[in-house]
Amino acid sequence: MIELLTTKYTYLVVVALLGIGAYVMIESDNFVKKIIGMNVFQTGIFVFFISSAFHTAGRSPVVQSGGGGGPFVSPLPQVLILTAIVVGVSLTAVALGLVVRIYERYGTINERTLEEVRADE
Amino acid sequence: MSLSVPVAVVLLFMLGSALAAAVIRDVVGSIVAFAGYSFGVAVLWALLRAPDVALTEAAVGAGITTVLFLLTLARTTVTRSDRFEGISLRSGLAVVAIVVTVGATVPALPAVGDPSAPILAGDVSQYYLTNAYDQTGVTNVVTAVLVGYRGFDTLGEVAVVFAAGIAMLLVLRREAFV
Amino acid sequence: MSDRDSPTDATADSGRPDGADESQPDAVDGEGSVSRPADERPPYVESTIIMTTVRVIAPFVLTLGLFVMFHGASSAGGGFQGGVIAATTVVMLGFAFGIEPIASRLRNEHLALLVLSGVGTFLVVGLGGYLVGDNFLQVSEYETLFHHGSKYSIELVEVGIGVVVSGVITSLFFLLGTGIDAADAADPDTDSEEDR
Repeated sequence: MIELLTTKYTYLVVVALLGIGAYVMIESDNFVKKIIGMNVFQTGIFVFFISSAFHTAGRSPVVQSGGGGGPFVSPLPQVLILTAIVVGVSLTAVALGLVVRIYERYGTINERTLEEVRADE
Repeated sequence: MSLSVPVAVVLLFMLGSALAAAVIRDVVGSIVAFAGYSFGVAVLWALLRAPDVALTEAAVGAGITTVLFLLTLARTTVTRSDRFEGISLRSGLAVVAIVVTVGATVPALPAVGDPSAPILAGDVSQYYLTNAYDQTGVTNVVTAVLVGYRGFDTLGEVAVVFAAGIAMLLVLRREAFV
Repeated sequence: MSDRDSPTDATADSGRPDGADESQPDAVDGEGSVSRPADERPPYVESTIIMTTVRVIAPFVLTLGLFVMFHGASSAGGGFQGGVIAATTVVMLGFAFGIEPIASRLRNEHLALLVLSGVGTFLVVGLGGYLVGDNFLQVSEYETLFHHGSKYSIELVEVGIGVVVSGVITSLFFLLGTGIDAADAADPDTDSEEDR
């Protein structure tokens, strides 16, 4: 257990972040908070990728000719996450736009109130 | 590698602010906690030698996402509360299921920073690091992979960002944008 | 909390297109929390401190964004990073001076043109790979055209990405931000959002 804590600490944080994100998405009845939960969940995945690319003695991947000057951290997960962050903010923005539309149509951003309003119609 | 103090501090800060964002019912407080969490994440990227990702996360997570959340509140309604979120049976079960399932894979993963981990010692990463400069003339391997080796993937990502802008116009019924 | 309490009945209904009259969603939602409709809050508060700070640091932030965008090949940086930093400048200006005035300065045609030119740059460099080589986005073949060809074509693609990202994020910000006043404009004819 201690060995797990000292060598795989970021992965444990990933598990905790996934749990927190899923908890907010399910438990909160406010749509904006649900989107915050989605972002926390998403960032948990990012932590997994970036920490899997980490090299104890590594430097950031700016190389010279022939790959000299190393060791380096792995560049590939960083590229994937770099694009994922920007796509994530676009996703968040569209989700928030949907929240605004729901408010304009039904006058609420609360999940339970929305269910009641829709049941009344 | 054993846990270094700065990384431990940042990880604890991240966990604390994520928990705060989760349990505070006040939406504005939750958004502020989330902004702090994003900043902690950006610092963690810097500590894990990922400066490119850190730059993006600092601008996106702590800056733009927070502003978009606050603007949404300004356009809809804001719920103020002194209370905290409770925990119900369905969310408790879902969280336990996720934590147990994902957590069961953690002992099988290689240690953080282990140089013999497949992702570091494997052929793909080493190929990029060895050949990036000679094949593309670019010293930053992240850029070389982003455009040179995985350019088609990046074109897809740009298309997704572009589509997000169009989707936003449709969702907010502002098709007459221009 | 008490200064946020306000009569919430029937104030937020004017801007809604239809329905939802009897819901009273902005009232106390049954859990001791108080909501306030958007119409009653000023969306923008003028602050001398924020305005002065933004006026001083905005050029530097924009310069940093462009620096990061153009130096993606030789140091940490690139299109995605520089694009979001450049977009942050507009977000900062919007916060300091109000989103509507900034949005009316930066016309939507220009933003659309910016985004399309970025995508176009990417596609031109990509399709140019067929002319100099055999494959889409074969940047190493630009080396045959001129010295450091692949490096500069990668830089060009990065700048295209940066332009797309900054343009899209700026327009997302404007789209979410500029509807605040329009939401309670009951008459669609006076809604100036549509034709700007």
